[in-house]
This record gives sequence, structure tokens and C-alpha cells, in this order.
Amino acid sequence: MTPSTPDAPLRTLSVRFVGSGSEYFRIWIVNLALSLVTLGLYLPFARARKLRYLYGCTEVDGHAMSFDGNPWVMFRGHVLVWLLALAYAGAQQVSPLAAGVALLVLVAIGPALWCSSLRFRMAHTRWRGLRFGFAGSVGGAYAAAAPAYLVVALMVGIGMLSPDSPAADPKAKAAESVMMAVLGLTALLFPLLLPWILHRAKRYQHGHYAWAGERTRFSAGLGSFYGLALRVGGLSFLVVGALALCIGLLTTLMAGLGGRQGQVGPGIVIFGVLMGLLVLVVQMALKGYVTARLQNLVWNHTASQNLQVRSALPARAMMSLQARNALMLVGTVGLYLPFATIAVARLRLQATAVDAHVDIDQLAGDAAAQSREGAGDAAADVLGVDIGL
Amino acid sequence: MTAGPSGTLFDGLSAQARPATLAVQGDELCADTGDGAPLRWPLRQVHWPERTRHGQRVLELPGGARWHAASAAEFDAWSAALGRRDGWVVRLQRSWRATLAAVAAVLLLTAAGLHWGVPAAAQALVAMLPASVDEAVGDRVLQTLEQEWFKPSRIAPERQAAARQALQQAVEALPADARGHRPWRLIFRQGSQSLGPNALALPGGTLVVTDALVELLADQPDALLGVLGHEWGHVQHRHGMQGVARAALAGAALSALTGDMGTLLAAAPAVLLQMSYSREFERQADEAAAAVLRAAGRSPAAMVAFFDKLGAIERPEAPPFLSTHPPDEERRRFFEQAARR
Repeated sequence: MTPSTPDAPLRTLSVRFVGSGSEYFRIWIVNLALSLVTLGLYLPFARARKLRYLYGCTEVDGHAMSFDGNPWVMFRGHVLVWLLALAYAGAQQVSPLAAGVALLVLVAIGPALWCSSLRFRMAHTRWRGLRFGFAGSVGGAYAAAAPAYLVVALMVGIGMLSPDSPAADPKAKAAESVMMAVLGLTALLFPLLLPWILHRAKRYQHGHYAWAGERTRFSAGLGSFYGLALRVGGLSFLVVGALALCIGLLTTLMAGLGGRQGQVGPGIVIFGVLMGLLVLVVQMALKGYVTARLQNLVWNHTASQNLQVRSALPARAMMSLQARNALMLVGTVGLYLPFATIAVARLRLQATAVDAHVDIDQLAGDAAAQSREGAGDAAADVLGVDIGL
Repeated sequence: MTAGPSGTLFDGLSAQARPATLAVQGDELCADTGDGAPLRWPLRQVHWPERTRHGQRVLELPGGARWHAASAAEFDAWSAALGRRDGWVVRLQRSWRATLAAVAAVLLLTAAGLHWGVPAAAQALVAMLPASVDEAVGDRVLQTLEQEWFKPSRIAPERQAAARQALQQAVEALPADARGHRPWRLIFRQGSQSLGPNALALPGGTLVVTDALVELLADQPDALLGVLGHEWGHVQHRHGMQGVARAALAGAALSALTGDMGTLLAAAPAVLLQMSYSREFERQADEAAAAVLRAAGRSPAAMVAFFDKLGAIERPEAPPFLSTHPPDEERRRFFEQAARR
């Protein structure tokens, strides 16, 4: 296959999302009711149905995608994940040592589960009858997660080593202050390291997608992630600052007008609720900004030999959508959720397109991938884990 | 063989799209692509799509092949003519009555689950935990408190011993089924200014009373016994660990419900729920206090004096749904009624 050329593509495959909020609401609410009645046992079946609907409503070049994961297999994975979560929550209550051990165990198997989940999801997704694939190895997952490990291990280690009671003699005190300093430094460093960790994760994910003999490569550099982080940080700083100022001013105003000292009247409660709502809306809008910019960054740098993905999601549209979603969700006690999901999916998907530098009709399936050989796929199907990142 | 619906066939081996018309012959599904013999598959192995208003009808054929219907309506009519019926879940999803029933069911089940399910599950979980866990948690909390909030008590040892003995005797005088079997110990501490008159029950059985409270109730020994009984009640019911277990379970349930839109949205309901559970625990402890006072031969109305004294101190009261304790009036009324029984 010739490498992709920078000249104009043969064709651009447009992406259309035809899902409807009201239809998805009916699917969602019925499946949620069934899941509650069965105390959560029906969840994997609900999840399979939702994925089928969402994928089935995603039309690329006029042909829908399809999801064919076996819900019974996903049930196995579901039970596994729940057991792990319960064990971790339980360990947290027992003691910091138990919590540390539980965290280390989760961290140890996390990347394996992540890889398995990606393989499962990809292997059961098809377009034009051809299966997708995930070519990343389990080792690759661990390598991608390595920096996150180091940070977590450091923090857990220091947490476990620190004594319960304050040290008596000065030497031990000095050692303890050093440990606290390192811990503090690590905590400060973590947000600084986050773009690096995210870059590695996205490079692993987007660098190993496969379809019809195509293999994707991820070409975004580390710098672009830090650039995005800086912009997000700057925007958050401005927004949070403005918000804090606004709330502070309003609060002093209310306190000035307010009732007797110590009495919390209904006016103050309403004010508190409104401020909470404002914070929620702003948070969701910021999240929308991050989602939009990250989607553009990641997908514009995902390309295979003959296919190039393009994403042009305007951040402003995403922010205003999420702000509206936040208000509607609060107003409807969460029942608006399926409508919000569909609206977000439509906005995100229809902002993407695929440039094809080859005639799609000529592409053929990867024989190995189509025959489902390989321990990777088999393990993925045994576990059926679908974390759904 | 009548022509069935037309659509696009993908054979699962190449990405090529071929127009194909379906038909059923016996127990086989045939796809006629117009060039060559029609392709056949056993009907049993074909996975039929669920009916949706939006989205394409995609037939899953063995070997990874897929057939996309050109017109969903044409496909639905054909498959109905073949005698295929919607699955029960699809029928529920298509019925507005079933949907409304599902909304009601979800709201009711969620409310019931959070109100009864979580407490019951928490109880079962905590019952599995050995007492050593409570003690370990309580010890850690006490250590932190000793560092930040407490100084050694300035109450005379005789007064401390007298209070301990009063509680001990009252507890032993309780009827056998109300006696409780969890060990407890009572310690006194001088609390920081912000703590004021206060009493705490830590997991594992340590009851802490601040000097300020002892001084406040110096002339009301019955009220002091009532407060000690209240804290003792917290220990016997294992409210500390119950609260932790409920918080974890409710938190997990709420974030599962709100999904990926969610952790921010789940925060407010989680807090409100925690407050509600806390108020429930306080009511249970008040009942224990009344029982302890009765066992000691005193009237539960002695606690009214406690609320009188508290009321004299200026304290900001949060609105009822945001408070960890029931309102003082409600608690006062409870003890007055308990005295009349």
C-alpha cells in the first residue's frame, strides 16, 4: 500500500449521526428499569443494546457501523469489574495499608484490562462488513501507562511508609519532613505530568487501530498536548477566577442584606442553590471545551496508509451544548441524560470525516483479523471486559 | 420465490458494496446480487436487527457478512410477513405506556434503593467486618483529634469516675435485649474553642466528652447521663462504620446512575443523602439515650434541660435538609414524649 500523500483525497467520507433523543430515551429508561429490577445484572445487556443503537445510527459514507458484542460475554467482564471495585472500596475502609495494597493490585492489572477492553470493543465493531481491530499489545499498554504508575507508586509508597503518630526524635522528624516534601512535590507534579500521561495513552490507543488492512499511526507530538493543557489551564484560571469573584461579591451583597446573624433563611438557601448551579454549568462548559479541543487534536493526527481522519469540532458549540445539558439535567432530575448523550454524540460525530486516498471498494479484510485467531482476541472474548473509555 | 427487500451486501471479506435482494427459501436465507448464484445461509444463524425508528436495519450473517436494508419500512413489512415478532424488550421500548411505567419504576426504585436498600446492604457489609476494624478506624481518628483538637481534661478525676460509673450502672440496668455487647470507654478532653460543649462517639467504642459540656451540665447530672447514653447508643449501633458503608454504597450507586455525565451531578444528591442518613442515626441514638435514662431510674425529660442550655448559646442552624442532626425542637419533643411513656 502506498503511504498517504498530501494531495487531495480521492473522496471524503462524511459521518452522519441519525440517532434520536426521544427514541434513545425510551431505550435507556426501559433498560435502566430492567437493570434496577435485576439489581444490576441486566446492565451488560443494556450496554450491548445501547452500543448497537449508537453504532447503528452512525453512518459513515452512507453505511452504518455495527456492534455485535455478545452480551453474555460482556456479562462476565461486568461481574469481574464489579468484584474489583467492591474489593477496592472494601479495602479502603479497613486500613491505609489495605487500601495501598488494593490500589497496587488495581494498578497492576489495569493496563491489561484496558488492552483487553479495547480489543473486545474493536473486534466487535464492523463497517462495510469488515471487522475493526486493535493491534496494541498488553506490554504496550503497560508501557503507555508507565509514567502514571511511577507517580501513583511514589504517592502510595510514601503514604504507606509514613508513620501513624508524629515522630519524636529530630532525626525521624527530618526524615518525615523529607518524605512529606517529596509527596507534596509529587502531588504538584501530577497535573504537570498529566498531558504526558494522556499523550502516551492516546498514542497507544490511536496508534494501533486496524481496519481492512489499514493500520493507524498517531502523529501528534507531546508539545501539542502541553499546548492544549496550557490553554485549558489558562481558560480555567480565568473562568474560575471570574466565578469566584462573582460569587464572592454576590455573597457579601447577600450577607449585607441578610437576616439575623446565625439564621439561615430560605433566601440564603435559594442563593446557595443558584450559586451551586452556576458552578455546575461552568464546570460542564469547561469540560466541553476540553472534549472538543482534545477530540480535534487527537483525531486530526490519526491516519492510516490511505485514510485520514479529520475533526473540526468548534469548542464554543460544545461548551454551549454542555452548559444547556447541565441546566436540563438538573431540571429533570437526570432524566434528560439520554437526550444529552445523543446531542453530544451528534455534535462530536458530525464534526468528523474521513479522507480516503484509495477506492474503498478495493480494500479487503485483513485475513488474520477476520479469522479471529490470536490469543489476544480469545482472551478478550473470555473476559468480555468493556470498560468503555 | 418472491423478491424480498433490496439492500446492500457486504460479504465480510472485502469492503465492496454489492446490491442484493433478500428472499427466504425453506430454512435458508438467500441474497441475490444479480451476478452469479444467490448466496445462501441457514436462517437459524442469521441475527435479525431490533426495530428502531432511526438507523439502518442491518442483518448479521454468518462469517461476518452484513446486509444493510435500503428501506427500513420495506424490511419491516417483509419480516412481519415472514411471521417475525419483536422481542419483549423492543415491545416495551416502543410502547409509551411501558416507557412511562419505566420512568415511574426507575424513580421509585432509586428512591427505595437509597432509602432502604443502601442501609440494608450497609448493615450486611458492616456485620461482616470484625470489631478490630472499628477499633483501628477509631484509633486513627482519635490520634488526629488528640493532635489538633484536644488537650488533657481539667475535670477532676472523681467527677470523671462518677460519670463513668453512672453510665456503667445505667447500661447494666437495661433489659437484656437492649444491653448491647460492644465494649466502650469514656474519656474526657479539653476541646478547642470551636468545638464548644460537645460529645463524640468514635468507631471501636471510645466516647469523648469535652470539658465544656461537663461544665455546661454541671447542675444537670441527668442530662449529662442522657448525652452519654446517646453517644453509647451510637457505639452499640455501630453508626460510625454504618455511615462509612452507606456513603460508599450510595456514592457508587449514584455515580453508576449518572454515568459519564456525572460525578459533578452526583455530588449534591450524595451530600443530601448523607445528611439524611446522619439524622436517622441521631434519632436512633436519642432513643438509646431515653432507654439509658429510664434504666437509671431518671426521666428522659432531663434531656430537655440540655436543649434549653444549648438554645441559650447562639448557634447557627442549617436548614433541616442540610443538617446532620434533626432540629432541636423535634429532639426536645421526642424526649418530652418519651418521659410520658
